[in-house]
Amino acid sequence: MIEPLDTILSLALLSILFSFGSSFLPGLIKVMAFQGIIVSIVPLFMGHDLSTSEILFTLVTMTIRGIVIPLCIYKAIKKVAVRREVQPIIGFNASILIGLGLIIAAAYVSPKFDVPSISISSLLLPTTIVLLVGGMFILIARRNAIAMVLGYIMMENGIYLVGTTFSVRALHIVEFGILLDVLAAVMIMAIILQNIKKTFDNMDTALLRTLKE
Amino acid sequence: MVESIILIPFIAGWIVFFLPKTTGRRILVITGVIHLLLSVLLWIKRPTAILAAYFAVSPEGLLSLSVISLLFFLISIYSTAYLKAAEIQSENIFTGSMLLFLSTMTMVTLSDHIMVMWIAIEATTLASAPLIYTYRTSESLEATWKYVLICSVGIAMALLGSVLITVAMDTGKVNAPVSFSGLTAVAKSLDPQWLKAGFVFILVGYGTKMGLAPMHTWLPDAHSEAPSPASALLSGVLLNCAYLGIFKTNKIMHAAGLGDFSGSILMIFGLISMLAAATFILKQTEYKRLLAYSSIENMGIIAFGTGIGGIGVYGAMICLIHHSLIKSSLFLTSGNILQGYRCKIIQNIGGLVYRMPRTFIAFFAGFVAISGFPPFGMFIGEMFIVMGAFRNGHHVGAIIFMGTICIIFAGLANQIMSISFEDSKRKHRMHMVGKMLWPQYVLLLTSVVFSFWMPDTLYMTIVEAITSIGGGV
Amino acid sequence: MIKSIILLGLAILSAPFFSAIILKVKAFFGGKKGPPLLINYYTLLKLFKKGSVYSNSTTFIFKMGPMVSFASALTVLMFLPIAGNNPIVSFHGDVIFVFYLLGLGRFFTIAAALDTASPFEGMGAAREAYFPIICEATMFMVLVYFYKLTGQLTLASYFSGSQPSGLWHLAGAPLFFVIVAIFIVLLTENSRVPVDDPTTHLELTMIHEVMVLDHSGPDLAFIELGSFYKLFFYSTLLGRLIYPFKTQFPVQDLCLFTGSLIAVYGAIGITESVMARFRMDKVPRFVLASFGLVFFATILTMEFIR
Repeated sequence: MIEPLDTILSLALLSILFSFGSSFLPGLIKVMAFQGIIVSIVPLFMGHDLSTSEILFTLVTMTIRGIVIPLCIYKAIKKVAVRREVQPIIGFNASILIGLGLIIAAAYVSPKFDVPSISISSLLLPTTIVLLVGGMFILIARRNAIAMVLGYIMMENGIYLVGTTFSVRALHIVEFGILLDVLAAVMIMAIILQNIKKTFDNMDTALLRTLKE
Repeated sequence: MVESIILIPFIAGWIVFFLPKTTGRRILVITGVIHLLLSVLLWIKRPTAILAAYFAVSPEGLLSLSVISLLFFLISIYSTAYLKAAEIQSENIFTGSMLLFLSTMTMVTLSDHIMVMWIAIEATTLASAPLIYTYRTSESLEATWKYVLICSVGIAMALLGSVLITVAMDTGKVNAPVSFSGLTAVAKSLDPQWLKAGFVFILVGYGTKMGLAPMHTWLPDAHSEAPSPASALLSGVLLNCAYLGIFKTNKIMHAAGLGDFSGSILMIFGLISMLAAATFILKQTEYKRLLAYSSIENMGIIAFGTGIGGIGVYGAMICLIHHSLIKSSLFLTSGNILQGYRCKIIQNIGGLVYRMPRTFIAFFAGFVAISGFPPFGMFIGEMFIVMGAFRNGHHVGAIIFMGTICIIFAGLANQIMSISFEDSKRKHRMHMVGKMLWPQYVLLLTSVVFSFWMPDTLYMTIVEAITSIGGGV
Repeated sequence: MIKSIILLGLAILSAPFFSAIILKVKAFFGGKKGPPLLINYYTLLKLFKKGSVYSNSTTFIFKMGPMVSFASALTVLMFLPIAGNNPIVSFHGDVIFVFYLLGLGRFFTIAAALDTASPFEGMGAAREAYFPIICEATMFMVLVYFYKLTGQLTLASYFSGSQPSGLWHLAGAPLFFVIVAIFIVLLTENSRVPVDDPTTHLELTMIHEVMVLDHSGPDLAFIELGSFYKLFFYSTLLGRLIYPFKTQFPVQDLCLFTGSLIAVYGAIGITESVMARFRMDKVPRFVLASFGLVFFATILTMEFIR
């Protein structure tokens, strides 16, 4: 547990629990920014030698995931002065308990997978699983559109963690393309969010139910 | 050379954002022509890409690319007239996004690297989002939100699937480039468990984009709210692009000897999609949503055909091409109807045959074609799929397949007849610009021609594409 | 043994003094001079000099409440390893006994509050019963965690001798979560801001204070003294976790222990100064967070110890 990687990963897990429990959007965005930074510096602690370009790439990732994307969303809510609650469908206490259950389940399931690169840290696979499922959970359990976008970002963080840690062979140019795509997706979502606010005067996705059979 | 076909519309798209309206329309058509010429050149020369690690010309990609090219060219001509008639707030964004959309779709067809494929497909979502929000209404906003969120989340699944395939490489101790061609070559030594997991995630991910039920919920909204040229592109080629991702992964599965696994999943998803479409078509009240559900049905047909294998795959490819041609023509025609009646509700529309006879011809012919009647190509494709299903012993599947097609035909016929012949207050004839009619005629005619006479190169390319996933005539 | 008794006597005498530190810190943040450090002794003396007033509608339960809560808090101190020395009493499983002794005290406080039949006190009793339930879950999770690490079930085995440093050695970083969690429990159990405000003047927002409104004179003094001991108990646990070492020199140990206690009390004061009270419906989540943290720490540690 003195290992830095384990400490980082447990902080990532903690950030998920916090995101499940935060009721206000600015807080949630800060948690996600923290998570973005935490997740993107994981490659630095993987234990293999890093070239300059790899370190540079990690820093760029950290800037985008930890600063640019959260800032983008923060600007979006600031500009339109939305209601700041995340409008939960599943309550916060229940969410925290579900998060804990999720961590247990992930810790229970992950040793059953046979992945060679997992031996670096026994916390790696549970963290990625919880990030992925947790992101999905926020998407399902929050009605606020911004919270849903943050859930999407959490999922992306999880996939990034799978990608960088499990397979070393991914080329940086490709990873960068993925990152750029995610960034563009978030920016477009932010623009849509502003328009949603302008049109509906609210961020509650329950209002987005006019189109149906 | 290969990259230029991606770059030209990309650059043109960015330029158009800063140009006046009319120039933008012209650039749209010019880029369409150049793109068409370049893709014809690809047929003749089949060059290798400069960035060979990321891009390659594959037979299935080439087929999709030429469909995209042809459709985009015709749609761009239609768009010039459509844009003149429709009042769109910021036309530059529309035309620019159309071009970027073209560029990203081209990138999908030409990409060979798994991750590049993902990047391109996600980019199509992003490029097409402004298209859906063209009309700036609250409904279109809702559709855009659903489209971007559902597709992004779905495609994130596909990214996870792609990563899992690289995990399959690690676990199987394989060292090969992470490209579709490279992986297909070493598929035997990949770890089958991770490969299966990867395929399922990719199928769910790209299946969302392709409109397979139950992940299809964004599709009717997006298609009905987008302006008609954009819906035509979305339905005609975007769905094909997503299918291409599944197709190429399926190739790896077949090379790894897991064809039965992937085939059965594809068949199940296909049948579910068809059934879902059938239930919604029967009581549909908007004609653009009607067409959208028909697209879901056709994607179901294609997934089913691909899953069967053998002659069914050939049928699926035929369906893929003809669906693009016919459905885009139908969506373009729906734009005409929208202009003539200013309404999307089927009940308020009637007597199309009196009010817009020339549009009626395109609309009705399109309906006949999409329902799978000869002389249009869908008939041949569906017939091959049914034959393939019986030949490979999937009797139950084949029966459900045929039953659903009949139900959908009944549902479609009911609605289309009502649009075409029912009494309406607006009887007087309306003039339509030629540019908003002949693209549809050309598309339908192409479908007819291809069902009677298939050029040898086209036939060879299809066969080349499908032999690797257990298809063949 | 003698040393333990002397330490216990010191603890009993000094507990009110430490509580005054909180007032000083708060006064400092408020830019005020604040009460003298011996304020609590003056208050207690004043209260003991007075007589008690009992309402006609109350029964013997009302009189029992303060006595039992004071006695249970005092008894708990006997199990407490002060400054890393062995406690006076210790047996296998005493941790559970200790926490239920505290629970007994709370039960009688609540019963006494209900005995007055005042709706305000009933409301306070309901809140007092609700929040500590989650605290109890947290504390027992902590016990499970410590048991998992040491295999022992006595407070002495966790906090006396070389032990907390041994825990740190075994568990490492997750122990930080435990510290935060115990701090949250401390705030809740002792009705501090942000869960409860001991200085509030509005009955509707009170939790603990509203229950003791009807007590007066020596009864109130017992209640106050009991709460000082309870706070001292939790602070000692935290202080030991913060400064886990024990050296050869008892005096040096005692000084450092006092320092760590002052740090904990100071931290409470700072928390009270910089935070506002939570809205009543936010409190359960705050307390639940402590449970989440300990639970999380347990999962993490199990991952590694396995």
